[in-house]
Amino acid sequence: MAYLGEFEQLVLFSVLHLGVAAYGVAIRELIEERTGRAVSSGAIYTTLGRLEERGLVTARVGEPTPGPGRPRKFYALEPAGARALMDAYETMQAMAGGLVPRLAKLAER
Amino acid sequence: MSARTPDGPPLFLRLLARWLVRGPEAPFVRADLEELMARDRERGMSARRAGSRYARNLLGSAISTWRAGLRTPRFPGGSWLDVRLGFRMLVKYPALTLVGGLAMAFAVWVGAGSFEFLTQNLHPSLPLPEGHRVVGIRVWDAAEGGPEERIAHEFGIWRGELESVGELGAFRTLERNLLLGEGHGQPVQVAEMTASGFRVARVPPILGRYLNDADERVGAPAVVVLGHETWRMHFGGDPTVIGRAVRLGDSRRTVVGVMPEDFAFPVAHDAWMPLRADVLEHEPRGGPPIRVFGRLAPGTSRTEAQSEVTAVGRRLAAELGESHEHLRPQVLPYARSIMDVSGEVTLSLGAINLFFLMLLVLVCGNIALLLFARAATREGEIVVRSALGASRGRILTQLFIEAVVLLGAAAAVGLSAASLALEWWLGVAEIEAGGRLPFWFDAALSPSTVLYTGLLTVVGAVIAGVVPALKLTGRGVEGPLRQAAAGAGGLRFGGVWTAVIVAQVAVTVAFPVFAFVMRREVVQIRSFDVGFPAEEYLSARIDLDRESASGPSADSSQAAHLTRVGAAYRELEQRLEAEPAVAGVTFSERLPGTYHPQGWLEVEDGPAPGDDSGLRPKASLVSVDADYFDVLGAPILSGRGFHPGDLGSEPRPVIVNQSFVNDVLGGQSPVGRRVRFARPPEAEPGPWYEIVGAVRDLGMISGDLYGAGLYRPAAAGETTALHLAVHMRGDPASFAPRLRALATTVDPGLRLHEILPLDEVGITMWLESQFIFRLLIIVSSIALLLSLAGIYSAMSFAVSRRTREIGVRVALGADARRVAAAIFRRPLTQVAAGIAVGGTLTAALILALSGGAVSARGFAMVAAYLTLMVGVCLLACIVPTRRALSLEPTEALRAEG
Repeated sequence: MAYLGEFEQLVLFSVLHLGVAAYGVAIRELIEERTGRAVSSGAIYTTLGRLEERGLVTARVGEPTPGPGRPRKFYALEPAGARALMDAYETMQAMAGGLVPRLAKLAER
Repeated sequence: MSARTPDGPPLFLRLLARWLVRGPEAPFVRADLEELMARDRERGMSARRAGSRYARNLLGSAISTWRAGLRTPRFPGGSWLDVRLGFRMLVKYPALTLVGGLAMAFAVWVGAGSFEFLTQNLHPSLPLPEGHRVVGIRVWDAAEGGPEERIAHEFGIWRGELESVGELGAFRTLERNLLLGEGHGQPVQVAEMTASGFRVARVPPILGRYLNDADERVGAPAVVVLGHETWRMHFGGDPTVIGRAVRLGDSRRTVVGVMPEDFAFPVAHDAWMPLRADVLEHEPRGGPPIRVFGRLAPGTSRTEAQSEVTAVGRRLAAELGESHEHLRPQVLPYARSIMDVSGEVTLSLGAINLFFLMLLVLVCGNIALLLFARAATREGEIVVRSALGASRGRILTQLFIEAVVLLGAAAAVGLSAASLALEWWLGVAEIEAGGRLPFWFDAALSPSTVLYTGLLTVVGAVIAGVVPALKLTGRGVEGPLRQAAAGAGGLRFGGVWTAVIVAQVAVTVAFPVFAFVMRREVVQIRSFDVGFPAEEYLSARIDLDRESASGPSADSSQAAHLTRVGAAYRELEQRLEAEPAVAGVTFSERLPGTYHPQGWLEVEDGPAPGDDSGLRPKASLVSVDADYFDVLGAPILSGRGFHPGDLGSEPRPVIVNQSFVNDVLGGQSPVGRRVRFARPPEAEPGPWYEIVGAVRDLGMISGDLYGAGLYRPAAAGETTALHLAVHMRGDPASFAPRLRALATTVDPGLRLHEILPLDEVGITMWLESQFIFRLLIIVSSIALLLSLAGIYSAMSFAVSRRTREIGVRVALGADARRVAAAIFRRPLTQVAAGIAVGGTLTAALILALSGGAVSARGFAMVAAYLTLMVGVCLLACIVPTRRALSLEPTEALRAEG
């Protein structure tokens, strides 16, 4: 089973959300919008590079944007990546099962 | 000066990104960084904020890529080990770190600060998308030697014909009172601008819309776009402001938009209203004065635009003949078209920068001396490294990087200090300008200044690191190796180092003289007596809307305008006099305590005007209210005061001040004498004035502080400027809101500027002198301390290197005093040469700045200072010599140096 860190999970979920439009800027903005965390572009690319080496995502370089012509690299989730993400999510759910109300109560104190 | 992509980061940050973010993903990371910044700008974020977000993202990205081991930035030929060694050296030699670091920080502070000052004044970069493509088009009247601003006719032609300038706009500045409901008005700077102006600026509004072409049509609803500050101050940042009605002077307008923070295009404007089409329809050299600007079409240069407007200008000159014969249209960088800095100012700014650059070279020389000393003590280590196979380049790189570490850390401190100084200077400049500065002045250091500092750091590291290293490694390995093995250092301070020490001493002697001279001037201004209790008066500059906002012709006659001003003033005066807190009201053309320009004067029965214009007296002429001296409580010293019948009588009566009696009339009785102004000798002289009385000096500041001056009686509205002075029975400052309210009830277009207690009016002049004075004091003190520390270290080091020689001489039976004298000769000669050069400079400076008048106290201070310098140098020699003399000869022979 491929182990995924928390940030790797966030990035993989973003790739899944964005589908064919998953590239650095879009992933960064989605994470910022949904979690309120400002992450650096470099962190996203190094994470995606690592995931790519592990065969969890694949990358393709798209056409440069119109106007200034900036290059973009698009990512897609591979079946191995989907399995790893599913495993991570299920592990988290298994551990958290039935604990959420207690957690909420503790957090209120 | 900084190249930007549209809405993109400045060149400096892009270069930094290129260096910091490396590896196979780097192009994508950098592209993302730029795209994110462009998105931030599209959302209306200010350039500064978006830039700061870019920098944070860049830093995070660099750290991520380093940590991931994608690639670590490398120095050519060097390694992180050298950097670590550099930091270790900082800790190992704390005194050198402190003295050298402070010296560099200081040099960067002064050098980068002056460079930024120069850049912002001479080559500012516009904080607009592709700001470097925005140009100003002006028409230069070669016959008059000034710009012709009545160019509505040309503007129409340019707008229709120019292809090299894509979008063309025009504006003029109006001051209007902004009124909300029944409250009192606040003067705001309004740009009456063509809607195209916003398209040139390319900055979207944060609320509503900006002006469009339909707003310019005659009969279109009257609208206004507000600046961010105006919106925040007057509407409390109300997001529902769009559609609200405001009064701007005498017109009611609907708010249609709000511009973002920091937007003050075209210059320093608070609000924008359309420049209507009928204002621009004029005959050649007719209509109101306007300024024209535009954005270069894609792919065209300013030179091409210049050729095109020149061609149009030639055609117009051929068509219109004499009136256009001397007109030369010019396409200029935008900021220069608004604020043309004269050649003289450019020259003096350049000279200031050169001076600071020389200071930097000296400081680097100082640091080089210290680093040379440090390198000399490490000679053994370096020689052994060479013997073990390290190449000369490798050792040079190591010493260079060590110097970069020291100087880089110091440069960062210096830049922070320069940034603070810049903020301070802009604050003073804003007070002096009496309002906002043009929008391109920015409190943040420009990327070009940071780059310039980087360059200075590298040059400094070459002087301070590479030069000593070259000397150390340039002698082959064998000789030094033998010497190192025998425990003897072979390095000596040669001719270059002697020159550096002499120059250092000379500058250290000459610097404080500036401070002495400046201090005297500041003390004089602070203690300047205006001749009456100015703190009991409230003053303000009065102005009245000239052009009616509803059209250009409603109030275009100058005479009618002045009549209106006079009537408004008289009514305000009456209302003020009815106030119980008011003891008296008067006006004058210029306020006491401010600068009064002077003109050449001719005294009847005095020296005849001719070639001796240098000897002819100069004086200021000020128009005042007939009761001016009564309200200021200034008694008439001789003759009589003014009375209402003096207005318009011939010959015109004037009252002179005491300085006039002393300087112009040599103390003779002034009453009955006649004078007139004759500006250039060949020009027609002005009318005769007859002196009817004399008063004491009342704060007429000119070249010599207490200037000779004449007062002539005038009616309100006759003068070019109108300043109100109200004698209060209580605290003047607390009456300011009431004064504003009264002015608004008299006429909504009556604007009051700079409402201040009269004793604070001259404060900007004092602030400016104080600024320069403080700067010089700080610069001098630091230069002094650093130089003394540097000289001490260098001398002390040079003497301690001769410990072995001293031991040999003493062992051979030499007399201790003779040995000491021989050792002292060289350093003392260097210091004496430095003092001689510096003393000559000092004498020249004192003669130039104070006309040769040096007080005994000043002379004593300079002498004491020179004695201190010699003392420091002696101390630097005595301490190591005594130590060497007290050693046993055998120990001295074992010594390294």
